[in-house]
Amino acid sequence: MKAINKSQIEELIQALAAEGQVFVPQELNGNTKYAPWQKGVQVILDKNVLLSPKDILFPQTEAMYSYVADNLNTAITEVAVAAEKQVIFGIKPCDVKSVRLMDLVFLTKGFEDTFYKTKKDNTLLVSVGCAKAEPTCFCTSMDVNPQVEEGADLALIDMGEEYGVEAKTEAGSQLLAKINSLLKDSTGQLIETTGFQIVFDGIEGVPEKLKGMFEHPIWDEICLKCISCGACTYLCPTCHCFDIQTKKIGKEGYSYRCWDSCMFSDYALMAGGHDVRPSKKERVRQRFMHKLRYFPERYNELMCVGCGRCLAKCPVNVDITRIIGQIKEAEVNGG
Amino acid sequence: MSITEKIQAKAKELLDSGTVNYIIGWEKGTFWHQSTPVFVKKAADADKLIWDEFCINSLSTYLIRLDDELKVGLFVKGCDSKGIVRLIQDKQLKREQVVLIGIPCNGMRNAKGAVEKTEPANLPLEQKCIECVHPNPVIYDELIGEPVVIADKSDRFNDVLELEKLSPNEKYQYWAAQFEKCIRCYACRNTCPACNCKECYVDQYRVGWQNKAVDLAENQMFHVTRAMHVAGRCVECGECQRQCPMDIPIMQMNRKLIMEINELFGEYAAGVDLEAKPPLGQFKTDDPEEFM
Repeated sequence: MKAINKSQIEELIQALAAEGQVFVPQELNGNTKYAPWQKGVQVILDKNVLLSPKDILFPQTEAMYSYVADNLNTAITEVAVAAEKQVIFGIKPCDVKSVRLMDLVFLTKGFEDTFYKTKKDNTLLVSVGCAKAEPTCFCTSMDVNPQVEEGADLALIDMGEEYGVEAKTEAGSQLLAKINSLLKDSTGQLIETTGFQIVFDGIEGVPEKLKGMFEHPIWDEICLKCISCGACTYLCPTCHCFDIQTKKIGKEGYSYRCWDSCMFSDYALMAGGHDVRPSKKERVRQRFMHKLRYFPERYNELMCVGCGRCLAKCPVNVDITRIIGQIKEAEVNGG
Repeated sequence: MSITEKIQAKAKELLDSGTVNYIIGWEKGTFWHQSTPVFVKKAADADKLIWDEFCINSLSTYLIRLDDELKVGLFVKGCDSKGIVRLIQDKQLKREQVVLIGIPCNGMRNAKGAVEKTEPANLPLEQKCIECVHPNPVIYDELIGEPVVIADKSDRFNDVLELEKLSPNEKYQYWAAQFEKCIRCYACRNTCPACNCKECYVDQYRVGWQNKAVDLAENQMFHVTRAMHVAGRCVECGECQRQCPMDIPIMQMNRKLIMEINELFGEYAAGVDLEAKPPLGQFKTDDPEEFM
């Protein structure tokens, strides 16, 4: 296998920079996130960062078109989506899978989202595997391989002193050829990822079981301590709900889409004032139903990659891994 | 009896006698360094309740918009109890709707970065506990444990004093960098006992006070509005800042306003005395009015 010494990561990123803007995981302004690489930036590769790269492909706020509305004189101008080449370097396998899930949402089932597609088509993903899990990580229980996941163009696999380098797509093979001078042949072995504190027996049967649990009393209990903030949904790399809003100043304005959260009171509020999810119970149920049942039904994939961000940051420790356990144990009338 | 045992016994008693509909306390969370709010409805479940160095969540937030028909038993530290006073003063809760079991608090511990299990005493105190002025419950029906000696915490304003040395431009840069981080999850608002509006201005989406775009201007709008709205009512429980996933130093804003109010209207500690009216909620003929 081809490999690169860990000490040569900076050179590797330098080489990737020839492809376009490189986003790397780093500390910025007190938070850890993906941001443009510059020489000297401390790249965080030994653990995942707080903010997933979701924002690069699907920005929290994204202008769609601008308009002028002056009596009968109206004009609409589309906002050009930047089609510049970019590389996301250091993306962890869990987040690679989450990009794959976003692809399903924004590119399949007969609908292509131009905003997402333009960015995704111009993005190369270079993943870096994990040698050590954080206490909140549970990717292996969600069927994610902590070293390498399908969806990356180039995968770096942790082998101790060096990273094994594998091209996973055609674009990845081309990239591999370009960085060949940095690589060596290695007989090194992939390291078994250690340190998982949360390991459970997958979620087999859960999507199926949830079909009979819409009215189950379990949701009355699970929702109680939730404070209805959107931290879980906004930190989640797979949550992809958005709202379309406008901002108007005088006669000019623009429409944009922005992330929305099923935890919020206006999320399911309809024109006319009827709310189909009037209380915390329905909202919390929706979040877990979407991740564990509706998404699997539609796309045959779970909408959780076990990155553990919600677990790390939920102010009240609403723990999806425990909830999965509760669902498994729940008694359901009539099977 | 340990405090945990006393808590469990009290919860059983209140539930068995039908005095309350349910109890809110803490139970062990996912990790050893995590205790989390729990709602107990049956006496048989009271064994879940615990008291340790990680019962950091302030529970008063769960009484916002409490159904008028319900009566709740609640375990309260100093910070939780000040949230209760806030809600009663703001007429969002009736005193007789809660049975308050006070627990003097020696401060909760922060295990951030600690992977191996260790004695809680080896861990640093949570920031909000370092800055806590009222470790003893200020309102309760019954007290479990011995009152804690109250230390002078006037140095909690040091951050604000440091910020005041900056030029207006530097202050703007500082706060702009903080607000840039906000993802508008509203955890700060949702956990805050002073944020008890029936309908938050943020959620009045049709009126459009607060645009949903997440950008610096809108983030500033949100944070400044919230700070002004809790001015004179913030009980310094510190939950907004502690629960912020983006580590925005929200309490620095709240403390700046507390300092201003103390200077203009005299020393006032919000959420401590049920009878003392908030300075911004009353009018006195000798109020300063140099702005008139």
